[in-house]
Amino acid sequence: MIKVLKSGVLLTIQDFGREGYRHLGVSKAGSLDPYAQIIANRLLNNNDNDAVLEITVGLCELEFTCDTVIALHGADLQATLDGHAIYPGWTYALKNKQVLSFATGRAGLRAYLAVKGGIQNAEVMGSKSTDLNACFGGFEGRSLTTGDEIPITPYYGEFIKVGAIAPAQRKLIRLHPSPHADLLGETLLSNFVSTAFKVSNNSNRMGVRLEHKNNLGHSHSLPSLGVSPGSIQLPPSGEPIVLLNDGQTTGGYPLLGTVIEADLRQFAQFRPLDTVEFKYVTFEEAAKAKQKLDGHLHQLSLALKNTL
Amino acid sequence: MKPAPHIYALTNSSLLFDASHLDATDRLSIQKKIWALASHCKSTDEFSDLVPAMNSLTLYLKSDKHLNKWLQVLPSLWNDIKTSTFKGQHHLIKTSYKGEDINYVARYHNLSADEVINIHSKTKYYVLFLGFQPGFAYLHGLNEQLHTPRRDEPRTRVPKGSVAIGAAQTGIYPADTPGGWHIIGHTDTVLFDSTSEQPCLIQPGDTLEFVPLVNKGANHD
Repeated sequence: MIKVLKSGVLLTIQDFGREGYRHLGVSKAGSLDPYAQIIANRLLNNNDNDAVLEITVGLCELEFTCDTVIALHGADLQATLDGHAIYPGWTYALKNKQVLSFATGRAGLRAYLAVKGGIQNAEVMGSKSTDLNACFGGFEGRSLTTGDEIPITPYYGEFIKVGAIAPAQRKLIRLHPSPHADLLGETLLSNFVSTAFKVSNNSNRMGVRLEHKNNLGHSHSLPSLGVSPGSIQLPPSGEPIVLLNDGQTTGGYPLLGTVIEADLRQFAQFRPLDTVEFKYVTFEEAAKAKQKLDGHLHQLSLALKNTL
Repeated sequence: MKPAPHIYALTNSSLLFDASHLDATDRLSIQKKIWALASHCKSTDEFSDLVPAMNSLTLYLKSDKHLNKWLQVLPSLWNDIKTSTFKGQHHLIKTSYKGEDINYVARYHNLSADEVINIHSKTKYYVLFLGFQPGFAYLHGLNEQLHTPRRDEPRTRVPKGSVAIGAAQTGIYPADTPGGWHIIGHTDTVLFDSTSEQPCLIQPGDTLEFVPLVNKGANHD
């Protein structure tokens, strides 16, 4: 078990999330930075989709009540193990009764903690992820809180310390074109790509809101259409919302475009007041960016194969 | 020339099929074709999700290899599709029409509460699509006599199972949520249960009607 001594700002169980239920209004949920989840899992020779802890901001404290091995990835939230600093990108062997604490970081927002064998909560609708809005999945359908005991399988086997670097972060986010370009007009779209946005405080797992001083306001409303993580909605106020994994399945705002799959994970790590800019790219460029990320993972697997 | 639906590649593996500009006066007929199109696409097993919304369908492919093929075939599929190929289920929603706003809605329209119940329950509603929260159905068919502007002050908590009217729409809340619609009744029918084999009772394209419970002092509060 992992006992939660302090849950911090937001601590949830996540995997890749849910698929196949969007027509029923069910969101994806799942790790906002799936690459961090994958790398952490691979370092432990887990399956890519094994459930992990998503730690937002930090300020949490976890006590292990059995031996295991962990891997940490994503943001550096200044973790310590019994008071000694440990670092994202590495694996660590843990003994029964050891305490893992997170302070908070100067860059990045979410850390991912994988344990050997994955977190052993039950699957609901095909996923172990927590749906915070509809209150199901994960740990009793909610974020973790003091006193909760997270089920894991003890591990007493051999331990070889391994590490992996993360793919680079970027602030210039690449986008697929808007399906509503005619409606919104060229002027608005060119204003959009020439704006440096600030990430709003009012952002969460549903979406990242973007503030700015330009005028992107409009008066269009649309019949509801399907939206998904990566869709960028433009409400009449002119403040764009980048939908993330807990976002709803349909919406009535025009779309500025969709974040390419390779860049969506960046939104897991943006902090309030961080700067974000956008650039439209072709479908070929988007596919190439995805190949590059997958190449990074493939290299990692090859390297680990020779080590583990 | 007949106006054509708009088809966009949203990403390397998703498409938006948009027929919402075709005929705003006959949304139901267009929506019937959307359900039939979704049903056909589902049978190919090439999609991870197919999401109908208002006269549109968003298609999420399992593999980006098939994007161009679907961009090409969707227009002719749309022309050829027969709405009769899709048939939804019909649901009877047992409803206790004792919501706290039923008298307000009645007064607003110069009707008696019984007349409101009568009009609301004598209609067959179509489930256009689901969204907003798991199991929340956008229904087509509310009689114009019952169209009622939303509450000035939304309630911070509308209880699960509430049957409500907001502007030209009526619906059932599958879970507790804030909301600005007028609550006219309550149902014990479970609309969403994540632990069930089929988590949502109601699917896009289904039909339903509300069946008034004859009250013998039964009270769900």
